[in-house]
Amino acid sequence: MENPGFGLMMTALGMGLVFGVLALLWGMLTLLTRFDRPEASSVNESVPADESASTATEQLTAEELAAIAVAVSFHATMLRREAAPAVRSYWPGSLLFASRWVAAGRARQNQSWQRRR
Amino acid sequence: METPESQLETLRRLRERALQGGGQERIAQQHARGKLTARERLGLLLDPGSFQEIGALATSITEDEGQRIPGDGTVTGFGKINGRRVAVFAQDFTVMGGSFSAVQANKICRMQDLAIESGIPIIGLNDSGGARIQEGVRSLAAYGEVFVRNVLASGVVPQISAILGPCAGGAVYSPALTDFVIMSESTGYMFLTGPDVIKAVSGRDISTQELGGAAVHCARSGVAHLSAPDDQAVIELIKRLLSYLPQNNNEDPPQIMPYDRADRQEPALNALVPADERQGYDIHTLIDLVFDYDSFLEIQPLFAQNAVVGFARLDGYAVGVVANQPAMMAGALDIDASDKIARFVRICDAFNIPVITFVDTPGFLPGIEQEYGGVIRHGAKIIYAYSEATVPKISVVLRKAIGGAYVAMSSKQLRCDLNFAWPSAQIAVMGAEGAVRILQRDELRAAADPGKLMEQFVAEYRRKFFNPYHAADLGQIDEVIEPAETRPRLIRALEILRTKVQQNPPRKHGLYPS
Repeated sequence: MENPGFGLMMTALGMGLVFGVLALLWGMLTLLTRFDRPEASSVNESVPADESASTATEQLTAEELAAIAVAVSFHATMLRREAAPAVRSYWPGSLLFASRWVAAGRARQNQSWQRRR
Repeated sequence: METPESQLETLRRLRERALQGGGQERIAQQHARGKLTARERLGLLLDPGSFQEIGALATSITEDEGQRIPGDGTVTGFGKINGRRVAVFAQDFTVMGGSFSAVQANKICRMQDLAIESGIPIIGLNDSGGARIQEGVRSLAAYGEVFVRNVLASGVVPQISAILGPCAGGAVYSPALTDFVIMSESTGYMFLTGPDVIKAVSGRDISTQELGGAAVHCARSGVAHLSAPDDQAVIELIKRLLSYLPQNNNEDPPQIMPYDRADRQEPALNALVPADERQGYDIHTLIDLVFDYDSFLEIQPLFAQNAVVGFARLDGYAVGVVANQPAMMAGALDIDASDKIARFVRICDAFNIPVITFVDTPGFLPGIEQEYGGVIRHGAKIIYAYSEATVPKISVVLRKAIGGAYVAMSSKQLRCDLNFAWPSAQIAVMGAEGAVRILQRDELRAAADPGKLMEQFVAEYRRKFFNPYHAADLGQIDEVIEPAETRPRLIRALEILRTKVQQNPPRKHGLYPS
């Protein structure tokens, strides 16, 4: 506490440096965010695409839509009935093979039936 | 000296020849019969682009160049069904009627050996006129080579046979040795001796379909497990059936993402069992409500309909379902039902599929024909199968569980892991009237009004024994549950039992009652 003026000066310098760097980072991030925004033209282009898609759906008759719905539903049922990869929880069967208890137990179960080579 | 280009040209020419099978004319004839060719069938069965053919250039052992067709009447190889590896063979009827030759046997045996070593299912599409007579005993020996591999693969990898055309004589034993036989209703038939021989021996005229069609083998003989109208439908059934089976006896069947609520309760089940015990009900109603929606695939639906067996899913896991059918013969067990249940339980045990049993049977079917037919040894098969099985076993007694049938149908003493019962369960040594006639014989004889006394004794017997609580007292029933909560109870029980392992004493093999 012999030279309070020097202490104050060092504090001001230190804080100034920290806040200066933070301000610089803020400026850089703002600049990057501005560059990263999608171009106005591409945003405008996507609007007609959506509209055209909805127009295409509207062009379908009720029977066609019903047929598509039935086909999609049937496809989902077939996937489920055949345990297709898309509806399977694990590959290839279950996670039981990861259980050492089960693996060792099954090895013992089968041992008495294995032929000797 | 052949240049590399000409060598490649030769190979490509031979491959092209193999792809043509018996030629365009024969292929057209095959289509005219309503059948697909071997390659078309494999195209439907396997994932696109997954087929890897083996032995496409093997030709017949004959001096006749005209009969040396690459592939020799069978297409063999590996492929994938819904991403799962399988070994396949398809007999090609367009090549010499698909007749079975030594070369064909070599190709099939190679697939069987590789399937056993790789631990992958083997699927055979049968469409053959029988043994190739020109090859004599070589053709017969070839059958033996296939049969022995069928037996060695049994219980190791799933084996599925599709009968899409003729399958006659010695050829029938290979499908019969496999785990599942699926027949085409329009074109498939199997028999040991054909209509001509039957006509010569017995003088009786009979068509091939009447003698060995799908209707006969699915409903009467029990040789076939499933049938479908045509080739395409049979192939769809194979894919569905395979979804419940593991790749081999060390793995588990595919588990699918649960799509039906595990805690779903079904109040309708509380009213399923009629108050009148002589009244039947359809067990399919229970199966549809308890298991995951639309997941039940019934096996042998037309054979021994007094018992229902099949695969289903519980919370996405494959399970085997065994049930008595009270709507048919009151659910009594007879010779055929015993065989059906026993075989199914053994299949589930071999392939690590838990077995869930629903019991409602008044016992084994009484009758002279049944006794002469050996109902004792056939019934013993159920006991053997349940006792031997080491997979998780859960039973639910719905109503009647009387006498020996109670013991046989996955009772506690047959190493069943969890025995549930509905409040409507009746577990007793024998029916009330019969028991009273034996137990109260003297009192009834001495009574002034035996009819009234009989009624009293029957009512007393029912009160004492026709409920699940007496069995629960003795530990024969682990828990009496509300019918509505059957599904969540089973799911929670299976969750615990999923890692169950149990070992049988070392032995060469058991002596299964046959």
